[in-house]
Amino acid sequence: MARQQPIELFMPPNMLRAKAGGGFGGVDPAAIRRAESAMENLKSEFAGMAGDAVSTLATAHRGFAAKAGPASRAALLRAAHDIKGLAATLGFPLMACVAGSLSRLLHEAPEAKSLPPKLIGAHVVAVQAIHRQAIAVADDAPTLALLAELESQVGAALRD
Amino acid sequence: MSGYRFDRLRILVVDDNVHMRKLVITILQAFGVHQIQEAASGESAWEMVRESNPDILILDWVMDGMSGVDLVRMLRANPQSPNPFVPVIMLTGHTSLEHVRQARDAGANEFIAKPVSVKTMMSRLASVIEHPRPFVRTSQYFGPCRRRRQDEHQGPERRATAKAAE
Repeated sequence: MARQQPIELFMPPNMLRAKAGGGFGGVDPAAIRRAESAMENLKSEFAGMAGDAVSTLATAHRGFAAKAGPASRAALLRAAHDIKGLAATLGFPLMACVAGSLSRLLHEAPEAKSLPPKLIGAHVVAVQAIHRQAIAVADDAPTLALLAELESQVGAALRD
Repeated sequence: MSGYRFDRLRILVVDDNVHMRKLVITILQAFGVHQIQEAASGESAWEMVRESNPDILILDWVMDGMSGVDLVRMLRANPQSPNPFVPVIMLTGHTSLEHVRQARDAGANEFIAKPVSVKTMMSRLASVIEHPRPFVRTSQYFGPCRRRRQDEHQGPERRATAKAAE
């Protein structure tokens, strides 16, 4: 394929380096430690944060169940996607995985495709259960088994 | 002196999820960033950019209304953009290669796939400070050069224009 022409390539002045410095003094290990400590403190607030996110997911699910359509589907996808990003960041990997499985179903299935309501509902219930039981480990066997089943069914639904 | 002078930088964090904003801001504050602005939508971020001209943007991809990708395109191409070169670190739960390509093609400088870690955030900030990429202007794209590496191409010339000139 022919390239777009003309191509202008140039290096803008590095204003950031002029402001923030750099070189050998760049990354301060103490700053990394401070930030990791701040993240740990934030994790203690996660129950409240997750509660908001799980409520949003439940509300979006009710909206989708009442009237499935592009808007309600997008709201549900957004809610699942938010939990996927937030829960993983704050150390609740299985909640993030379940939300990620739901995101995959909602994101990858064609718009016109009718989505399996029971499978969507099962994801929402699983997220709520993980939150209720505060499962913060990545190797909780029952949750892993549930996740494997959900992911398998999502794969099958996307292949249909 | 030890570490970057993050206290001299103004960073705008754009995410419609209040918890994710709080998380990113917590990390930035611990790094020593004092001038942090936050926006809950692409639209309000665009207003803030025009008013305060931040040094770096950290923005979420998926937002209601104007998405992160839409905002990057405006920053790069809109004549009202105060700084078309402003470094943008795109934050997203999407991790597929196609999504990375879309963010890159919109003009994002760096990409962080959630979950966000402290080390990744520092690494991306260091990258935009220490290793800015050259900019490219074509008829269809303006933004950081989309080639990650500047290696010399070792194979035969494939560019149509170069072949024509031979």
